[in-house]
Amino acid sequence: MQEMSGGHGMTIHERVRIHLEPLGEIFEVDRETPLKDFLFDHGVEFPCGGLGICSGCKVRVLAGSLPVTTEQEEMLTPAELRDGWRLACSCGADEDLTLELAQWEAPVLTDETPFQFTPREGLGVAVDLGTTTIAAQLLDLRTGQVLAVQTALNEQARYGADIMNRVLFAMNEGEASTLASLIRKQIGEMIAGLIFPAKPVRRTDRLRADVVNVVIVGNTAMHHLFCGIDIEPLSHYPFDALNDGLQLFLSRDLDWGIPGDPPVRFLPCIGGFVGSDILAGVMAVRMHESEPLISLVDLGTNGEIVIGNRQKMLCASTAAGPAFEGARIGMGMRAATGAISEVKISGEKFRCHVLGNVQPRGICGSGLVDAAASALDLGLIAESGRLANGGAPISLCPPVVISQADIRELQLAKGAIATGFRILLNRLGATPEDISRLHLAGAFGNYINIYSARRIGLLTLPPSRIHPAGNTALLGAKLALFMPDDEAFSRVARTITHIPLSADLEFQELFAGEMRFPSASPSGF
Amino acid sequence: MEGLKELYDAIVTGNAKSAKALTENALAEGVDPQVLIDKYMIPAMDEVGRLFEANEYYVPELLISARAMKASLQLIRPLLTAKGSEPQGRVAIGTVKGDLHDIGKNLVSAMLEGGGFEVIDLGVDVPPEKFIAAIQEKKATVVAMSALLTTTMLSMKTTIDALQNAGVRNRVKIMIGGAAVTQRYADEIGADGFSDNANSAVALARRLVAAQA
Repeated sequence: MQEMSGGHGMTIHERVRIHLEPLGEIFEVDRETPLKDFLFDHGVEFPCGGLGICSGCKVRVLAGSLPVTTEQEEMLTPAELRDGWRLACSCGADEDLTLELAQWEAPVLTDETPFQFTPREGLGVAVDLGTTTIAAQLLDLRTGQVLAVQTALNEQARYGADIMNRVLFAMNEGEASTLASLIRKQIGEMIAGLIFPAKPVRRTDRLRADVVNVVIVGNTAMHHLFCGIDIEPLSHYPFDALNDGLQLFLSRDLDWGIPGDPPVRFLPCIGGFVGSDILAGVMAVRMHESEPLISLVDLGTNGEIVIGNRQKMLCASTAAGPAFEGARIGMGMRAATGAISEVKISGEKFRCHVLGNVQPRGICGSGLVDAAASALDLGLIAESGRLANGGAPISLCPPVVISQADIRELQLAKGAIATGFRILLNRLGATPEDISRLHLAGAFGNYINIYSARRIGLLTLPPSRIHPAGNTALLGAKLALFMPDDEAFSRVARTITHIPLSADLEFQELFAGEMRFPSASPSGF
Repeated sequence: MEGLKELYDAIVTGNAKSAKALTENALAEGVDPQVLIDKYMIPAMDEVGRLFEANEYYVPELLISARAMKASLQLIRPLLTAKGSEPQGRVAIGTVKGDLHDIGKNLVSAMLEGGGFEVIDLGVDVPPEKFIAAIQEKKATVVAMSALLTTTMLSMKTTIDALQNAGVRNRVKIMIGGAAVTQRYADEIGADGFSDNANSAVALARRLVAAQA
């Protein structure tokens, strides 16, 4: 940081003014502050953790200037550089800047599903600790009522947006404890925000009782990075965690200072990267009590699939890739203002719904799935994924197009999920007809059009059996607040078997087949 | 040899059954196996590579063409070995220690075979010692390493260091690839080349082998 020394040993930091579009936010920072240090707080993610090996954090300079480094030249096209695009991770603010962000904060999905419970005394806190987002709720355990909600972006994400980059960072000397302190502090503050809100709306209600119980769920990497367990085994095959069981803390161990010093439980993982968020999901959809086979599918960067019933449950995670979240798609973006979120055919033309009813500037995951389904129906995409017209991009709604490369990314993502689903079915000796219900968890599962998902071959069950299920991880964590003993979670976790897909001999052959598009939507049973 | 154009087509369209039958017939009729490779199989895989490069083919088409090519090559390989003819080069290929994702590696392996290379496929989760053994015992002249994850990519450096320590680094050219790998990383760890897809890997291997001569 550049400092100017005054005559009496006084240090003055020079300040520069930053203006962020389209947020319209203006603030000052010290000259030469890395962009990374303040953009993260405004919702910009750094997918590779700021290593300069992706271009996910790109920003466009509208006023002022940012130098072109060799990293920028390697990752951005000459046209992008000319248009003022830069990688935020390799720049510092040397002068006043107006920046356009390519991405910004998307809403975090919480849960308001009613559920059955046996009332108990006091308050409870349920936390869904995601790789990207965190959702926490305060519950009155006597009534099951949600008293307050807090959501946030996971602060660890500035050190790597996806799991593997986060793990990579944590393997550096001392950084695992940096990440552990960071996330413990953040969740502690969120819980404080639940119990002692800045605007005390129903404060008296909330403080009538002590918090007696805190339950946290998350994938295996989040579990390790919160609990302070060595993450190195998760960095390579066979991805065998050292200790992925239930972890019990007291609130004071975590410096949380919650009145009553309640126990804090991080629920046990299932296997591989599949953690207690999926265990909670299984409990939320009551798969462990179901007689017929049911399925839980979480469509994210790591697509997770569970199929089973009270006798037997199998689960798998697939490296589906980030296409469903709009990443690695030419004009992809998150489901935010300006994103095409739905596409339909009207006559022989596309009709696009744009979030916020503004000029479209990109396309999000649900829009991409719709666009592909519509283009298949119009014969603009072959079953192989090849675009008609010699591979020329398909114009949806100017200026938004989908390119051949975008469709290839989608094929990888949907192929991985469909293959995982098929392998689990094969292992169970079951067919799709045997699955009575499929619960689609997560934000994307909430917004995806089921008919389009079937048209591209992502899902094959009849629409009547597919149900968007919302944030099942958070719902499961809430159910866990009412469970009488710890053995209950571990018992469910033990009945779920994790199947490592990349070790499956059939994977490649099935994946090649599932990457293709079906000639038409599958028929109902 | 009019019928042999069909072998070319069978590989380009990925028809393994007919590739195998056509090869069997040709060999029974006394066609020189080297001619089958040079005139039909290599050009066919070149065409597959071109279609991939032009975005007409993608991973599924590459996989089925590779399967057809292999069905044919399996019949020809023993005859070539018996004749003692030398391949373009010998490539020891594998996903590095800690990495199990092998679709990319399998594609590169098939394209290299189709390009006239002898491929020693060491499989997945390959420790440095196995690469060293392939150089010492099987006379590999090129080492090709793949890693999908940013975390397992680090094993590439470990492997190159191990080759150095075993005194075999200067006997081979090293090429790397995989989702997380970049040219910058290749330079950083002292690899001789980087390719981001299966087709350009063949051109890269040819360049590296030419530089060895």
